[in-house]
Amino acid sequence: MSALATPGGRALSAAVVSAVPLLVFLALLAYFGARAPGFLDPATLILILKQAIPTAVLGVGLSFVVIGGGDDVVAGGIDLSVPSIAVLSAAIIADQLAFHGTGTLAAVLLGFMAAVAAGLCNAVLVTRIGMTPLLATLASSTAFIGFSKLVTANRRIDLSDPLIVTLRDGTVAGLPLGLLAATALIVIAIAAVHRSRWGLRLQAVGGNRDAAVIAGLDARRFVAQSFLIAGVFGGLASLFVLARGSGSTPGVAETLLMETVLATFLGAAFSPRRVVTVWGAALGAILVSALSIGFGSVGVDVFWTGCVKGGLILVVVAAAAVARRSRT
Amino acid sequence: MTEAKAIEPPGDAPDILSLDGIAKAFPGVQALDGATLRVKAGEIHGLIGENGAGKSTLIKILAGLYTPDAGSLTIGGGRVAAGSPDAVHAAGVRFIHQELNLVPHFTVAETIFLGQELAGPLGLRTGAMRRAAERFLKDTLDADIAGHRLVSDLGIAERKLVQIARALIDGKARVVVFDEPTAPLTHAEIDHLFKAIEALGRRGIAMIYVSHYLAEITRICHRVTVLRNGRNAGLLERVGPEDTGRLISLMVGRDIGHLYPRHDHTAGAPWLRVEKLSLAPHYLDVDFEVRRGEIVGLAGLVGSGREELVDSIAGLLAPARGRIGIGGKQLRPGSTAAAARRGLALVPRDRRNDGLVLAQSVADNINLASLDAVSTAGFVRRDAAARRAGESIEALDIRPRAAATAARLLSGGNQQKVVLARGLATGADLFVLDEPTIGVDIGAKAEIYALIERLARDGAAVLISSSDPTELIGLADRILVLLRGRIVVELTRDAADLDRLVALTTGGDATEGQAA
Repeated sequence: MSALATPGGRALSAAVVSAVPLLVFLALLAYFGARAPGFLDPATLILILKQAIPTAVLGVGLSFVVIGGGDDVVAGGIDLSVPSIAVLSAAIIADQLAFHGTGTLAAVLLGFMAAVAAGLCNAVLVTRIGMTPLLATLASSTAFIGFSKLVTANRRIDLSDPLIVTLRDGTVAGLPLGLLAATALIVIAIAAVHRSRWGLRLQAVGGNRDAAVIAGLDARRFVAQSFLIAGVFGGLASLFVLARGSGSTPGVAETLLMETVLATFLGAAFSPRRVVTVWGAALGAILVSALSIGFGSVGVDVFWTGCVKGGLILVVVAAAAVARRSRT
Repeated sequence: MTEAKAIEPPGDAPDILSLDGIAKAFPGVQALDGATLRVKAGEIHGLIGENGAGKSTLIKILAGLYTPDAGSLTIGGGRVAAGSPDAVHAAGVRFIHQELNLVPHFTVAETIFLGQELAGPLGLRTGAMRRAAERFLKDTLDADIAGHRLVSDLGIAERKLVQIARALIDGKARVVVFDEPTAPLTHAEIDHLFKAIEALGRRGIAMIYVSHYLAEITRICHRVTVLRNGRNAGLLERVGPEDTGRLISLMVGRDIGHLYPRHDHTAGAPWLRVEKLSLAPHYLDVDFEVRRGEIVGLAGLVGSGREELVDSIAGLLAPARGRIGIGGKQLRPGSTAAAARRGLALVPRDRRNDGLVLAQSVADNINLASLDAVSTAGFVRRDAAARRAGESIEALDIRPRAAATAARLLSGGNQQKVVLARGLATGADLFVLDEPTIGVDIGAKAEIYALIERLARDGAAVLISSSDPTELIGLADRILVLLRGRIVVELTRDAADLDRLVALTTGGDATEGQAA
């Protein structure tokens, strides 16, 4: 096939651009390692991982939607409501446990049902009514947050339920139980997306809708499923949100949303194909968590941390846009 | 001197596929009127016709995308329900669309096996799929492409082969339809693709080859069905390169004349000057000029680079190299605003999406590009705007004669006049008209042609890009022919006849070297 031309220089420079967010992150981490006392201690590293759990589980849920809808942030797959679903589910569980004397299992089930219903609602808005995912989930996210405030009256609810405490403090063979549980979830998600038939088809639907339809796939069904799964992961994440906060706290959705989107799109920089992946989202969550803790331990003003994270989102999304431009 | 085909024609084999007596009407157009296409196993069957002859409608009916008003589809001796893509697929018909439709970040193996993946208890069998894909590409298409490579790293021809492999991987294909498969390919790549197509023929697969490139049709096809105005214009057997002329005359038919206005404009000073303009792989080293009071035509097939060249001149697309000058001044490339300041008015090919603000009124659309002339201190003077729009509507005979009508309610021909009126209102002296009469009925065509003639008579420079060769011959003083991104010949009005122009654009003219 020597006579056939292969595209050259532009692809290379796009590969460099798409690695920029990762390089910026690694530079920041190296800086923390050098400047922050004890940043590289095993205890700090464990803390970083533990703090990353809710974001990682949410990011994995979001990555299903992005993979199935394509990584164009405006027209492609995006679910801004995953963190709100987690907050809603957490509010219901906390309220049931603290004020209604509901059993642990029943409370968790109620929270989960709300999360699945929320995912279903997004799926209907996008695939049946035909709204763009960005607008549909922006609207539904506001509604979910509203519900959670109705449930909790916008107050903090402390929890000392054994399940939540075990998820927070329990260990197995010296490793935090919550970390192991989250890892298991992530491994299952990776197998589903990156090792199964269904997953390859989901990737095709997001990568090129027309190609998937020509291959005989029902693209709409895959997109609907991805929103439903994101809802399920929102429900699962609610347990980790409750464990990390020792209860339900109003106002965490905003931070969670920013960190989830950052982690998921940052994850694309890990992938050799420069696309959003499940494992990339999980790794991205760890980097984001390391960044937060790093800023804390060098004593940077918390408001500056917000500015830097916002700036990083811009860098990540810009790099994704450049990568997409070179692909077409 | 008929060249021997790489594979023998199938002789008296029975038809494996036949479309008989197909009719299909769309509002206002009888696209097909009793068309027939019969194909034998192992045969490469060409399907040709001018734009609008009914080729793509016929292929869409075969694909089950349209339901015909009359006629039948038989595949392998059995009737197949019309209008069902699944039934056609089940009967073993596969389509290689002109668009590649591949997932850029998938590997070759993933692409080929999408929808029928190999999987075991541990999930996808990546290695097995890779090896099977490589073996299939080698055995079936005689292509060496590593299964782990990403589609985005492949060249266009390799992508085409992967696209073909993905259509055939289930081993059930009996008929493969190729729709303009070579449009983006170079000569060497076409040779390779043809080897792959011939390899398929040796396996007894029938192929329908739809193309505008007559040189390719005569080179690879055994038989050719020619459509004209929705009917069969002829069926040529044992086709060879010497048949190009016959194919053209079957395709074209001849009835030009009364549609076109009398030429009475004269060329003045050079106005648009294009020098060494290149944007690989679309067009290369393009040089030409258009004088004031002159109409220059641009001919070329889809994929010849014609659209990209026009977009570059109009500022929609930045060329990689070269210069564009208007009235002796350099034009900043890639800016429609700069082009407009130099007096360039574009009439885009997709007028509904690019030419008009459909929800706005006719008057607003006419004044859109020249609001300064009817404004004071940034505010539009409504009376002045209405007066100017009214003058345009009168002068161009836009119907209905109501400036407040929404543009979307107008017929195609009247919409096109609104776009032209907007260009006129800016006082432009260079008009770039891209497919000015596409989708316009015959009466409106004549009016638009008269308008174009008037533009030239009033001293404007006019560049018309069109896929309709009769239109170019009827209007233009000179016609530039683009073939695979290069201007291969410039025909003057006296030297341009229809057969010659069609032959040149389709790469089927042996004398193109001398003419250039």
